[in-house]
Amino acid sequence: MNTIRRDLSITDPVVEAYKQGIDRTLIRENLRISVQERFENLMALQRFAEELQHSKTQKRDHTI
Amino acid sequence: MITQFDKLLPVLIGEGVEFIIVGGAAATAHGSTRLTQDLDIVYRRTKDNIALLVRALRPYSPYLRGAPIGLPFAWDEQTISAGLNFTLITSLGAIDLLGEITGGGTFEALLSDSIPVKIFGLECFCLGLRRLIEVKRAAGRVKDLEVIAELEAILEEQKKI
Repeated sequence: MNTIRRDLSITDPVVEAYKQGIDRTLIRENLRISVQERFENLMALQRFAEELQHSKTQKRDHTI
Repeated sequence: MITQFDKLLPVLIGEGVEFIIVGGAAATAHGSTRLTQDLDIVYRRTKDNIALLVRALRPYSPYLRGAPIGLPFAWDEQTISAGLNFTLITSLGAIDLLGEITGGGTFEALLSDSIPVKIFGLECFCLGLRRLIEVKRAAGRVKDLEVIAELEAILEEQKKI
């Protein structure tokens, strides 16, 4: 398989549009912490998403 | 199911598997705030490394993610050698084993653009941010546009530090 190199100085207008909606305060916060802490936060986010999904399923089951 | 990065990564590193973290987990390592559910790695396709990979994951019952239970899937060197990319679920979570990636190629092709990262007390390789953006751009998937935007924003923020 060929590798493809792209000139990152060439901007994509769609990507630029998406950038306007990014909360850079969260990125800055993440850049202050270690790689390990970033993964710990990710796992906490996964747990939260799973609990949310679980409670949504339970609520739907009760409704039916 | 939660992917236990704090267990999965040490299992691979501890066994001496040669791999590079790519995809969403690499984005996390660089500071992405997005939720990723699996660990994507590009592994070296040598006989020895495939043997290490098989040995490392065997205790965690790797199986094809999303596939019906009971398929004749054997987790061994022969299976990995005969295939290339594997989307798996293990008892430690979801892991994608990639022999190569679009726009990036193999482990050997990506290694010079990878950086060592220390995580959970151990060191492994993670695809560098610039290369990660290049690979995402090369993949040309619509769903990646928002991801690319965040990665480029991270690159811009890093320059300010």
